[in-house]
Formats: sequence, C-alpha cells, structure tokens
Amino acid sequence: MKKYISITVVMMLMAFAWVSCSKDKPVDEDGLLITNRAECFVSNFELVGSDFQTVRTKNPVIDTVACTINVEVFYGTDLKNLWPQFFLATDAKLDPKITGKVDFSDLANPKQYAVVSGNRQVRKTYKIFITVQQ
Amino acid sequence: MSVKYFQYTLVLFSSLLLIAGCKDDKYETPQPKGILQNDVIKRSLGPNLVGQNIEFVYAMALPADKGKLVSATVEASIAGAPTTFLEHRSFYTNSGGIDVPVTIGAPSVNNGNSTVVTFSKDTMAAALRYFYVAPEAARGKSVKFTFTAKSSNGETATYSMGPYNISKVDMKLDLKPVDGAACYISIEDLAVYTAAEAAAKANVIDLVYLYRTTPVNFNHSIIAPGTTTPAYLQGITLPAGVNRKSKILKVWALRDQQLARAQFGVFIDDIDFQKLDLADATDFAVNLKAEAGIWVETADGKYRAYVYMNSVTNGTKTATISIKRYAMQ
Repeated sequence: MKKYISITVVMMLMAFAWVSCSKDKPVDEDGLLITNRAECFVSNFELVGSDFQTVRTKNPVIDTVACTINVEVFYGTDLKNLWPQFFLATDAKLDPKITGKVDFSDLANPKQYAVVSGNRQVRKTYKIFITVQQ
Repeated sequence: MSVKYFQYTLVLFSSLLLIAGCKDDKYETPQPKGILQNDVIKRSLGPNLVGQNIEFVYAMALPADKGKLVSATVEASIAGAPTTFLEHRSFYTNSGGIDVPVTIGAPSVNNGNSTVVTFSKDTMAAALRYFYVAPEAARGKSVKFTFTAKSSNGETATYSMGPYNISKVDMKLDLKPVDGAACYISIEDLAVYTAAEAAAKANVIDLVYLYRTTPVNFNHSIIAPGTTTPAYLQGITLPAGVNRKSKILKVWALRDQQLARAQFGVFIDDIDFQKLDLADATDFAVNLKAEAGIWVETADGKYRAYVYMNSVTNGTKTATISIKRYAMQ
C-alpha cells in the first residue's frame, strides 16, 4: 500500500512541476495578450453624448488607408462631453486609452488615436474629423 | 492502516449523516398571544420630500373575548403639516379588486405631534393608513414615529418606526413653458415666467425654453440665457438683465418616479445632487424629447436641479416639465 501511495505522490509532483514550468503566453504592459496578428484598422466608430445617445447623423466614413475618420454630428451637440468608441481589428488596441469623456470642441485640431496591432508591431494613427450638422 | 478501517469509518459517518438528515422538524402552529398586538408597514417609497406624504399602514388586533379597540395614536417626533391624518376607515378589497372603506370612528384629530383616531365601531381588529405630510420644519432632519393602540380592557400596544430622513429637495410638478410666451424658467422660484415678468425678475431666470423646427434637430430645447453660443437662442430677444449662465448637462432615461409618476423605480435624492459633477457641463441642451432631462446648476451655484421633460407638444410649441431642486448653500 505504501508503495502505491509514494508512486502516486511522485507522479503528482511531476505533473505539477510540468505545469508550472510551461512558458506563459506573452502579455503587454496592459496585461493584454500579444498575438501573431498584424491586422491594424478601425472597423467602426461611434460617438455618444452625455446622455449616452449617439450624436452621429449618419455612419462614419472611415478611411483605413489615409487613417481618417469623418463624422457628422447633430446640430447642438455638446462637443466637450463626447465619448468615442472604436471598433478595432482582432487583438488590436488603442493608444491612448479612452477612460472617460473627451473634449472634441477644438475642431481645427482633430483628435488622434493610434491603433496597435495584435503583435504590437504595426501602429497606425487615425485622425478624427468632426463636422457639425447645420 | 488497512482499507478495512477506512470502510468502517465511512459507513459510520454515512449512518450518522443519514440519521441527522432524516430528522423531521415538526411544525408547530403558532399560538396566539391573547393580547393586544400591533404591526406597521411603510408603504411610500423614495426620498421623503417636504409637502409630500410618508404613508404607513398601522394594523392592530386583540382576541374578540378580550375587548374592543378604543383608539389609535401616532406620535411623530416632528409635528406633521396640518394635512397629516390617520384614516378613520379600515379598507378591505372586494372581489372586483376595489378597496372598500369601513368607517370605524371619527376623522383623526391632530394635537401637537400626535394624530388620534377614536373608535366608535365595536371592532377588535383594524388596519389604518397614516399619511404624514412632512412639514417645512422637518427639512433636512430625521423624524421618528410611535404608533399606539389602546383597547377597552386597558391594554396598550406600541410600535416604533424610523428614523426617516426628510430630504432637502424641493419639487415642482407639471410646469408648462410655452415657446414665445411663458418660456423663462426660474430654478430659484420653481416657476415659468413671461418676458415681461422675467424682466422684473431678471436675477432669478436660469433657463429659456425654445421650440424651433429649423435648424434641423433643434426642436424642444432649454438654453441658459447667458450661453456662450448665442446662436442657440434662435432669434429670441432676451428681456433686459436676463443673462444668467447656468450649467446644463443633458440626460436620457433618468425617469425619477416622483417627477415622472410612472412605474420606474428610480429616485433622485439629496446625495445625487451632492455628488453631481458639472465641471464639464455646457450651457445648452438641444433637441430634448419626452422622458429626457437635464441637470442644472444655477449661475451662482446656489441651486442644483433636475428638470424632467414629462411631455412635449410640437403643435402648440409647449412642454410639460417637472423639477427637483436642491439648495447647495
């Protein structure tokens, strides 16, 4: 009986050692998984106001080559309290991160956000151009 | 240690568990205490506002052979407004779902902090509703209640409720601003004024209501008279001195139950106004729809308010608004 117990214990120890020695998958400074994907683009873009309703009058025009996003917002939109939402390629992330309301009122200097691919090798900076409906 | 011992131990444990698990808890029918008893529930929900009811139901009963009810009293730690009353009728619900009253005594009498109903009906059980109308004296304070029932055999039963905080919030329901007429809204006065009235009260006008079909999506809007974007005032000539720059933040789907008087279980309370962050707020709210609202802070920072759009009517260029206001200072 003793023999069987000791064999089981040794086997379990080996199994634990095996698991603990396996290499962790790479993560970046935000704790996000770094993958092999090189795709890097914005697939959709949303802007919501302080009431969390969309302020877009129509679909955004996203140019993934020129890296521009053109959005028309309703007349009377409070441009100082907007919440942008980016829809990105799989595994990609945004820089800088959006942590709250963003002030888009300086229309002459469009806001810029960089999209970083899943492998963190490709970086594309998008400019957001906002026009107010008249 | 042989397997045998393990088996014995397991069997023993299983048997013990079985015995414990099968033990039947015998239900015992509660025995009536045979004395006068009472109980209270609070019916009203949400913040307790000055001028509004706090509603309770006070139930009392004693065995029929012990006597009958003589009186019911509610004593509040702060005397209620004169309209405070204890029902002199007990209600039952008939087969049609309608509450049918049964009069058990004379209407209640308010005497200082106490509200008393004296029974005239020979009854041994009653459930009476109590409506405490919060007085101005209770604003920002807490109030407690002591319910007392007396029976003909000299017994007394009491029940304490509270303390309940009385909100500092003021409420005004169903103001009707009209575009081009009574379109000047005062948070300080909780009223709407015409241009002529506004000129005389320029220092208390916080908002202007407008309805325009052009430009597109302007519709029903509330603008601060001192807005940094005068284009939003859409051709309106403000009365002299009306130039307060209130802070405004547009909100959707915040349907306070006391303002909307609808089924939504949402209440705006003192703490909501205290914690409100209007640092980035603007001075206009364009295209407001029914059930939308705005947070407002007056230019002098004296008041914060939530203005709820109960309804809007394009044809008559009017809206129905209800306001909750909190004094910051």
